Amino acid sequence: MTRPPEDALATGLRELIAEATGSDPGALLLSPIPGGASRETFLAESEAGRWVLRRDPVGAGGAFAPLQTEFRVVQAAAAAGVPVPNVLAFEPAGGRLESAGFVMDHVEGTSVAPRVLRREELASARSALPAQLGAALARIHSIDARAIEGVSFSEADPALAACALWEGIIDEIGEPLPAVEAGLRWLRLNPPPPPEGQCLVHGDFRLGNLIVDESGLAAAIDWELCHAGDPAEDIGWLCVRSWRFGNDDLPVAGVGTLRGLLAAYEEAGGQPPSLERIRWWEAMGNVKWAVICARQAHDHLTGARPSAELASLGRRIAEPEWDLLQLVPSLSGPGRPGREAEEAAG
Amino acid sequence: MQDRPTAAELLDAMAADLHSEVREWVPRERRFRILVLANLCAVIARELRAGEEPSREDLELFSRLGGIEADDPREAAATLAAAIRRGDLDDRLPETIAGLREHVARKLEVARPGYAVSAGDA
Repeated sequence: MTRPPEDALATGLRELIAEATGSDPGALLLSPIPGGASRETFLAESEAGRWVLRRDPVGAGGAFAPLQTEFRVVQAAAAAGVPVPNVLAFEPAGGRLESAGFVMDHVEGTSVAPRVLRREELASARSALPAQLGAALARIHSIDARAIEGVSFSEADPALAACALWEGIIDEIGEPLPAVEAGLRWLRLNPPPPPEGQCLVHGDFRLGNLIVDESGLAAAIDWELCHAGDPAEDIGWLCVRSWRFGNDDLPVAGVGTLRGLLAAYEEAGGQPPSLERIRWWEAMGNVKWAVICARQAHDHLTGARPSAELASLGRRIAEPEWDLLQLVPSLSGPGRPGREAEEAAG
Repeated sequence: MQDRPTAAELLDAMAADLHSEVREWVPRERRFRILVLANLCAVIARELRAGEEPSREDLELFSRLGGIEADDPREAAATLAAAIRRGDLDDRLPETIAGLREHVARKLEVARPGYAVSAGDA
């Protein structure tokens, strides 16, 4: 009888943990943790404890930061004081985890945003989160991305690079998105000045990628979209309305105000970007989310990943489109209707 | 002619059933999937009730904004999207944005009624 592949993986992982910690964890039970399009994540449990394995799908390449880079970034984030899971060991492709992978300690808590926003036992976490998020972002942005081997860096202006990136992905999908195009065109014509310096950007900093326990932020996870860029990108993305899950009057992830976030950001040594720059990146965040929805629906339609859940995202494109077109004219620019004109019209 | 319930009424019934009883049969951590399916039933029911009018309005809007002659809204959308990308409409971008808000609001009437309001931002 052939052994299931998880068996070999569990054995390899057990060896790796034993080496890294100096004690054999015993037989491990592996269960996949759903979510994450580009990486596989498993929970590994034994009587001795719980760990998390993150690895590349076997045989996959891809546009994401290489797994070893993600491993180095998590280490750099820990050194900078960002709450992250304690990483134990990295194993290259072809080793005991088959594809490239790394193992870390399991962090208790939830990364399901609606739970964070609604559960009674997380009320104190919600009041602590805005300041914790601001401090964590300031520490991430204090990291020099170029000092970490493998982090993608370009001399190009990050704002214009983002316009080109999402235009390219729209073209790959091939569905007409005139509302996204209009917002993108406005963003391309009205970019903020290039940032003073580029720093490490998490790239997907929102409640779905943060583990929260009763005292608040326990760990920032899922660093696969990290890159060098404008610090305002992470702040704008965190303010995208979709990540407020109905708490629309609390722009920061549905838990806090931008003012509160930026005060904590400054307190932790960060230099808060201008509101205008943050708004530009919030608008760009809506472009990004609209295009991701379109791409997920496209993956269903082509048969690459048949799923009613992915299909349903095609009908969510309109939400970030609406927010995008609300945001762009409120940014300053020559010949654009101002805020008051907008309010009078709407 | 089919007997009642109409297609939209059948979808209403499916959505109600998924939302109430069926959801309870599913393990807690998988209930999200049931909510997705129930929501899709509700979206389709609204789309059926709205009929062809929103698509006709979009065709008219895209044609006007892009100065296009087309019979199919998807084709008009593609032509308009390309014109915006090329910068052909840069001199009337604010009007184009204002017009496309109507298109997005029409989609939201079907996909997510109540979303098309301004959210707080400070």
